[in-house]
Amino acid sequence: MIDDDRLGTLLRSAMPPMNTGEPSRDLWPLVTNRPRPVIAWSRIDAGIAAAIVLAIVAMPNAWLLVAYHF
Amino acid sequence: MRDERADPASPATDAALEMRFAAGDVAAFEALFRAWHGEVFRWVARIVRDRAAAEDVTAEAFWRAYRGRARFDPSRSFGAWMRRIATNAALDDLRRARADGGRVADVAGLPAPDAGEASSRDDREAVLTAVGRLSPALRVVVTLALVEEQPYAEIADALGISVAAVKVRVFRAVRALRRDLERLGVRP
Repeated sequence: MIDDDRLGTLLRSAMPPMNTGEPSRDLWPLVTNRPRPVIAWSRIDAGIAAAIVLAIVAMPNAWLLVAYHF
Repeated sequence: MRDERADPASPATDAALEMRFAAGDVAAFEALFRAWHGEVFRWVARIVRDRAAAEDVTAEAFWRAYRGRARFDPSRSFGAWMRRIATNAALDDLRRARADGGRVADVAGLPAPDAGEASSRDDREAVLTAVGRLSPALRVVVTLALVEEQPYAEIADALGISVAAVKVRVFRAVRALRRDLERLGVRP
């Protein structure tokens, strides 16, 4: 069986510790120009919205109940 | 993460900056970024083991920090909070890289090991293969604990888990690595 010392030596030989110093460029523009996440509707969101519309159309008196959940 | 900032501000200035950052002040955020980005970059590089990826993950981590500024507690260390966000961003990067076929092989391009502890090229490739097969959660503890020799308490803090959980992950990773390396023909 490979013992702990041998495993540590193998790991450090194959993956020498990283001595990276500083980034090679200014990263601030990368932070400020980060693409904003696109908020997309999933099928579940669309299904819930459709169900709410249908519920209001089918039961107009129940809209207050729907509004309560918002 | 030790405070190795080139121009450390006084604790009072730090606290004021952190309060302003939490309130959404972009200038304060930039000042904190300038003070901490090198430290965060080095931490991330230890995990992702690729300079270009580490730069991108560092930027992503600071962007996540800004979006999550409302959750920052100015009474606690900004560095520790930032390191945890950066570790999560690095883990996400490892998961993406793994889904795309892995990046561990890039490490083969690093300088050759010292002659005294050199293993054969086949052994190096076997190690990279075995590490690449670990889940990102196990790989991160192997890299930080066994390669970078970071203290368990620091790893636990960065991952948001207990020291005992880190030890369990190291144990599981070592067991998987041993099994895989022996299958790949690495001599004990």
